[in-house]
Amino acid sequence: MKRFRHADAPDLETAIVLLREEGAEAIAGGTDLLTEMKAGIRAPELLVNLKSLEFKGIRDEGDALAIGALTTLSELEAHPLVKERFPMLAQAASLAATPQLRNVGTVGGNLLQRVRCWYYRHPHVKCWLKGGEECYAEEGLNHRHAIFGTSPCIAVHPSDLAPALIALDAEVRVVGPEVDGWLPLEEIYCLPDENHRERTVLGRGDLLTEVRVPYRGNSRGVFLKAMERAAWSFALVSVAARLDFDGNRVREVRIVLGGVAGKPWRVRDAETLLQGQAPTEELVAKAAEAAVAGARPREHNAYKIPLARSLVRRALLELFELRSRRD
Amino acid sequence: MPKVIKTEVEFEGRFYEEYIVLEGEDLSPWGPDRDRDFRLVGKPQPRVDGPERVTGAAKFTHDVRLPGMLYGRILRCPHPHARIQRLDTSKAEKLSGVRLVLSAENAPEIPWRMGLTKLFDRTLRYAGEEVALVVADEEEICYDALELIEVEYKPLPFVVDPEKALEPNAPKVHESGNLLNGAPEVYERGDLQKGFEEADVVVEGTFRTQSVLHNCMETHGSVAHWEGDTLVIWDSTQHIFGVRAQVAQALGLPLHRVRVIKQYMGGGFGSKNAAGKYTVMAALAAQRTGRPVQVLLDRFEENLAAGNRPSTVQTLKLGATREGRLTAIYHKSILNVGAYAAWPASASGPTKRLYECPNVKTEDYSVFTNLGPFSAFRAPGYVEGTFALEAMMDELARKLSLDPLELRLRNYAEVDPITNKPYTTKGLRAAYERGAQLIDWEERERVKKERSRGTKRIGFGMASQIWGGSGGPPAYALVKINPDGTATVITGTQDIGTGTRTALAQIAAEALGFPLESIRVELGDTQWGVYSPLSAGSMTLASVGPAVRAAAEDARSQLLEVGSQVLEIPRDALTLENGEFVDSRDGKRSPVRTIFEKLLNYTIVGQGARGPNPEDKNVNTFGAQFAQVEVDLETGTVKVERMVAVHESGRVINPLTIRSQLYGGIIQGLGYALMERRLEDPRRGIVVNPSLETYKVPTIEDVPEIVAEMVDLPDPEANPLGVKGVGEPPIIPTAAAVANAVADALGFRIHELPLTRDRVLTELLSRDQDRGRGRGEGDR
Repeated sequence: MKRFRHADAPDLETAIVLLREEGAEAIAGGTDLLTEMKAGIRAPELLVNLKSLEFKGIRDEGDALAIGALTTLSELEAHPLVKERFPMLAQAASLAATPQLRNVGTVGGNLLQRVRCWYYRHPHVKCWLKGGEECYAEEGLNHRHAIFGTSPCIAVHPSDLAPALIALDAEVRVVGPEVDGWLPLEEIYCLPDENHRERTVLGRGDLLTEVRVPYRGNSRGVFLKAMERAAWSFALVSVAARLDFDGNRVREVRIVLGGVAGKPWRVRDAETLLQGQAPTEELVAKAAEAAVAGARPREHNAYKIPLARSLVRRALLELFELRSRRD
Repeated sequence: MPKVIKTEVEFEGRFYEEYIVLEGEDLSPWGPDRDRDFRLVGKPQPRVDGPERVTGAAKFTHDVRLPGMLYGRILRCPHPHARIQRLDTSKAEKLSGVRLVLSAENAPEIPWRMGLTKLFDRTLRYAGEEVALVVADEEEICYDALELIEVEYKPLPFVVDPEKALEPNAPKVHESGNLLNGAPEVYERGDLQKGFEEADVVVEGTFRTQSVLHNCMETHGSVAHWEGDTLVIWDSTQHIFGVRAQVAQALGLPLHRVRVIKQYMGGGFGSKNAAGKYTVMAALAAQRTGRPVQVLLDRFEENLAAGNRPSTVQTLKLGATREGRLTAIYHKSILNVGAYAAWPASASGPTKRLYECPNVKTEDYSVFTNLGPFSAFRAPGYVEGTFALEAMMDELARKLSLDPLELRLRNYAEVDPITNKPYTTKGLRAAYERGAQLIDWEERERVKKERSRGTKRIGFGMASQIWGGSGGPPAYALVKINPDGTATVITGTQDIGTGTRTALAQIAAEALGFPLESIRVELGDTQWGVYSPLSAGSMTLASVGPAVRAAAEDARSQLLEVGSQVLEIPRDALTLENGEFVDSRDGKRSPVRTIFEKLLNYTIVGQGARGPNPEDKNVNTFGAQFAQVEVDLETGTVKVERMVAVHESGRVINPLTIRSQLYGGIIQGLGYALMERRLEDPRRGIVVNPSLETYKVPTIEDVPEIVAEMVDLPDPEANPLGVKGVGEPPIIPTAAAVANAVADALGFRIHELPLTRDRVLTELLSRDQDRGRGRGEGDR
């Protein structure tokens, strides 16, 4: 591993100044960055430790829940307010990684983590995302890769929290020289292209400090995740779905897929189909079909289409059944 | 007087002739009369080394830290096939803290892998092959130095698919060709063509199994240092004497100047049957630097270069009469052995031996490819072969409208089909019966109907297993009676995590009439000079156990002789119980140590040797496993709900550790059945998932309810203990039983492992598409 310097950030302003340095990287839980450094994928000159900053903990703000970016996944999944108000978020957190990793990994780190593509993570491979010429997965072993979106890199976004938080209309606060202020979580994500081989719009020195999840009245959510084994596995496909009801009609709906695209993938066509409708099984089937309508499978990942369709269908049925049971 | 005899020894399905030396008198087997009096044998006994293991006092190779120890790390080739054009280590050598760089430039030419390569070769035949060793004061300096080594590779054409490797114009892994020995290994009995002519029904299928990785918790590694003129090696190995011989030969040293130690090990599963390149590199580096040198593999290296279970493509054809009697079996296997092979791989063992069938032909093609070399992996070949054979048996049963279990009973082999010899014992029928009872086999159709709801389908499957596990000579042991009345068992075996220490202590204590606490077992060190074989092939206990019993009986008899004279009690009236002499005339007891108060430091040494296996009979282990699964047709989830395992391995010495073996084998088998697969990119020639994140092994969440039992059937003819091995049996039928249950649930068969979500969904998709085109109805 290359030698590097390590500095505790005394405050946010200093952290940003330090992070502007060439070769600087922020570290919080380190569950992602350290493995990349050990594998020689990243070799920062300077690690800026964010754990000394105050963006920790979960606060009730009356109309929203505020989650500090340094909150660990364990704290998130166990917090009474999260469990009460946003069980789908607690569910998403509890399905991520392992208890050991969740004790260390932070919300901010989870939202900004890098892809798990096995070519990207392979020390002998210099793929496009690592500054190389080509994507190895496009014509290679793409079992776990994207079925949506167009980008020279077909790795999927691995976060479980991101689809759940986007479905909950979460906003994030970003502080920094390039992006500053509150913006919807959905909008920080992008697909990498030739000019920007990154998955977020955040620039050097920009820090995600807080997540804000608005309270809704009559709202239910569900998070489902299909893995390769019962635990400790990134999503092959996940779905986060949230429905608000107006009487027996759908007032507002969010359906966000994980594990299928280079960023959390919101399926607006499916949402539109449900908008203002009374739930029926036929409608659910149509919405599930619409959710995967634009999918483009590769050699080894066509299975993700029926899988995503099934998970969307199940999520919606569960939500509607919950609703009808409550009535 | 020592007696030399010639005997046949079975190891992992192959037979070898060996000369052995017998000492002492023949022991009579522990028979049923003796059984009633057992104090320790057959009773659950927590591991004698449990406290060391859980407190961290147990010293694994990875824990060895010696004064002045240097670290050695290996540079590996990133190309699947390449020749080194230029190798410049000068920059690395100049880095501060670097003590040595070993490579083809300066290392002796030591032949490796049957001479197919060298310790440092200039031609590299797989991505991950060793190029150089850096030795430095710190591990981190090694990594810096590795980056300073300049290597110019000339990439060569490569092949990773064994079927492609057999094509005429395939890139050559070795000049001698891609087929090991230039021909398949062929076995034939009877007349295959006649057998198929006699058949009323024939089933045929092609099956594919994946390469899987051992992923031992403790990666491969060695620490070597010189004590005077003696090379001492701590090696994470299943065979200390084998490592000694290999290293002595590689370095040109006499055996008495090489000492190999292995006290505790975090898993081997067959991948640690011999010395590794890292072992010899550590020894050479210790020689050159005059300092202890540690060479350990990390997980990435481990999963590229430390062995694997070869992938297979198996074609099977079975013929049977209307009554379900097998008339013919043809079995062709293509096995991907990677870049090197020390022996041919095979998947045909179960086909030759499991069922009675007069006409059998098998062909095993061991094919070289540009991938990490294969190694033994817990029941090599039998896991793969049983999956295919038992799938075909189920297909045959379906075609004949027979209960799968009934079909197996109709082809039950009463004698070994290869040798025509009877078995010493065969508890398979009992295992079938008990297993069927435990899974409620007769009720399975009712359970399937009741519990298959919505997108969920319930299925049941079973499979049988046959394995060797007889153990055999040579294996020797000593039992010393110490002056304080304790005893020390000395053997050259090693405990690879299976509970060998505990079982040997039970046997010695039982035979001596001592309490368990007074027994210490010394093993894992060639310095004791008492040879024992490698711990593989489920042979440790059945090889070493009888030698320990013999040594303990010898020590006991000496102790009674001496005790009788010192205590002035007639020999016939004296016995030993719980570490005390008992005078049977008046019941008076005196502790063993009392005689040494008079004799001072007199030491009794009992000797024991493992005798030969019976010549006129076969010694095998058997078992049956039954799986209940739930498959979700929509999400492709395969959930094993229950696994019932009933095995027969002779006498049970320790029910606790035997259960651990069954659980471990089943869990490893479930990984093979459901999720584990090494993925190789055919275009790049690299393994894409050499990490524990991307290569999935089962977590505890993936483990179903396991009901594991033994048919406790002491085998009086196998050896004087009546024991057989159990390490490998439980992994053998696991994937087969699961795959048969999944086929039962789905109503069609997936011919390839593992049964991952993506595979199940992909198969369901292709069947949907076939159905859409009006095909695929009625087939399976």
